[in-house]
Amino acid sequence: MWHAMSDAPVYEARNIKTSAGRDVGHAMSDVYEARHVNKSYGSVVALEDVDFQVRPGEIVGLVGDNGAGKSTLVKVLSGVHQPDSGELFLKGQSRTWRSPHDALEAGIETLYQDSGLCPDLTVEGNVFLGRERFKPGLLGRLGFLDNRAMSKVAQEELEKVGIGLAGVRRTVNQLSGGQRQAVAIGRAVAWARKVIVLDEPTNHLGARQSEEVLRVMRSARTRGLGVVFISHTLPHVLAVTDRIVVLRLGRVVADEPTSSFTPDSLLKAITGLLTSRPAGGESGRPRTDQSSS
Amino acid sequence: MPMTSAGGAGSTTLTGPAPSKSGLSARDLLLRQDIILLGVFAVMVAFFTAMNSAFLTTFSIANILQDWAPVMLLAIGETYVIITAGIDLSVGSTLGLSGVVCAMTMRQMNSANDDPATTIAVGVLVALAVGALVGLINGMLITRAKLAPFVATLATLGAGAGFTLVLTDGVQIAGGPREVITLGNTTYLQVLTSPLIVVIAVLAVTWIVLARTRFGRWTYSIGSNQFAARGAGINVQWHLLKVYVLSGLLAGLAGAFVYFRLGSGSPTSGQGQELAAIAATVIGGTSLFGGSGRMAGTLLGALITTSVLSGLILIGVAPNWQQVVIGVLIAVAVGIQQINVGRMRRVARHV
Repeated sequence: MWHAMSDAPVYEARNIKTSAGRDVGHAMSDVYEARHVNKSYGSVVALEDVDFQVRPGEIVGLVGDNGAGKSTLVKVLSGVHQPDSGELFLKGQSRTWRSPHDALEAGIETLYQDSGLCPDLTVEGNVFLGRERFKPGLLGRLGFLDNRAMSKVAQEELEKVGIGLAGVRRTVNQLSGGQRQAVAIGRAVAWARKVIVLDEPTNHLGARQSEEVLRVMRSARTRGLGVVFISHTLPHVLAVTDRIVVLRLGRVVADEPTSSFTPDSLLKAITGLLTSRPAGGESGRPRTDQSSS
Repeated sequence: MPMTSAGGAGSTTLTGPAPSKSGLSARDLLLRQDIILLGVFAVMVAFFTAMNSAFLTTFSIANILQDWAPVMLLAIGETYVIITAGIDLSVGSTLGLSGVVCAMTMRQMNSANDDPATTIAVGVLVALAVGALVGLINGMLITRAKLAPFVATLATLGAGAGFTLVLTDGVQIAGGPREVITLGNTTYLQVLTSPLIVVIAVLAVTWIVLARTRFGRWTYSIGSNQFAARGAGINVQWHLLKVYVLSGLLAGLAGAFVYFRLGSGSPTSGQGQELAAIAATVIGGTSLFGGSGRMAGTLLGALITTSVLSGLILIGVAPNWQQVVIGVLIAVAVGIQQINVGRMRRVARHV
């Protein structure tokens, strides 16, 4: 069933039933992976030989200081940027995204910081934005929207990821910040078929609201999605992830199961006080000295 | 399934200040722009009728509708454009240009003794084509050359008005077939003419498209958050191009309407009409920031602004006061919008 579905990514993306009905097990090959990715902006090296992977049913934390390359990696994963070199693999196949739309159609949903929703549209309108459903028959062919069906499905899908809504027909600008974020994540989880990338989803949220966001992420994991969680809030990362990838100055400096980190060791890995893997530049000079002597 | 308990202790319940079943409380309803406008319009009609009973006669209503129709056509386009967070300043001069080109075409065909029905059909199509062309230029300037809508349409406003004067030397273009006058002035039910019926049909279609179809939904989404619309896979530039072409097309139709009403093409007929259309749209509750607005509001805005003129004349006030009244209406309408926006923010904070 899974293979048949992924053969027709366009139609699959427009059919929410597919996403709703999926709870089949995933082969281990169903992994999203970046290999040897390099990306520079002019003379600034943003990513240097980065390997990154996320498996189905796994939450990977992506952490690093400002400027470590997190956002760049997110943009490469979601198709906003193309890497200068290196490759992306989905289910073991090399893939190239020419646009974010390509990645969406392949089942990779990305939630950027504070940008996901149209505040003047209803919750239902946002969940179905760009994937609207039409009324059956002639009216549908004329472009008439089936609001009732979309409301119903939107409500069900959001409830499935643990977001109970009193009214999906309410506009998003009537919701609080935490609720908006919950809807944005719920929307991404509902549509994602393989991977969901969440860029700072708990930013600006209170403690209780953040807890809800973490819960939605766990529920996405239960549904068999690969979750990439980018955050500065280390307690959240330690609480929810299975594995943590630490970026520093565009390089991966740690990629370990979450259980092997303590809050202290994670912080040290991020700031560079703990060098579990020395960077290449540092080992360069002694070798030159040896060869010259 | 512990995750699915909607409303359970562990789930995010977006209940907030629980809205009634319809989603609207009585207070919400009272603060809705179109409901307020309906009240304003009713009070206005009652006031003018009380002051002069001639206001509510078929003669006066027919007159008001003739004033209303071209403003309504422009305001429909303006509603779509402003909902996308844009603006179209060129619609007035497009009305003038297309009316004049329509008149010249018909004069030419008439003097060549072409069949009147064909002449009229071709004339209207030419007016529509001129309007659509200006809309296309606007759309290209905005989506390809990345000009701000205000600047792009300001350019076409000036160029269109200038081109109209070049074509006509500033004189009216008469000499169309007689049937034009007949068609424009034969009334049904004492108030409706054929062109007016076309305008009402266009209003109905564009209203439904905005409120019920994907085209309308995407129009709102682009004005609400263009980045999110793009992220959802919507071809934003292509959609904007279509919206500006629609606005130009409707301005072309308005040009033809004015031609049918006057029986000649006047190079100055569109002057200032873009402001009348924007006023009707803004009074109708469409936010200049984009993302919100309803055709019902625009309809009432256009009805109010156009009937004020007749009303003031009938009660013996100098028509120049019309501008003052419309100015006050704009200020009040936008004030109400701000109250509503503020209320929504407070609601969101308390949730």
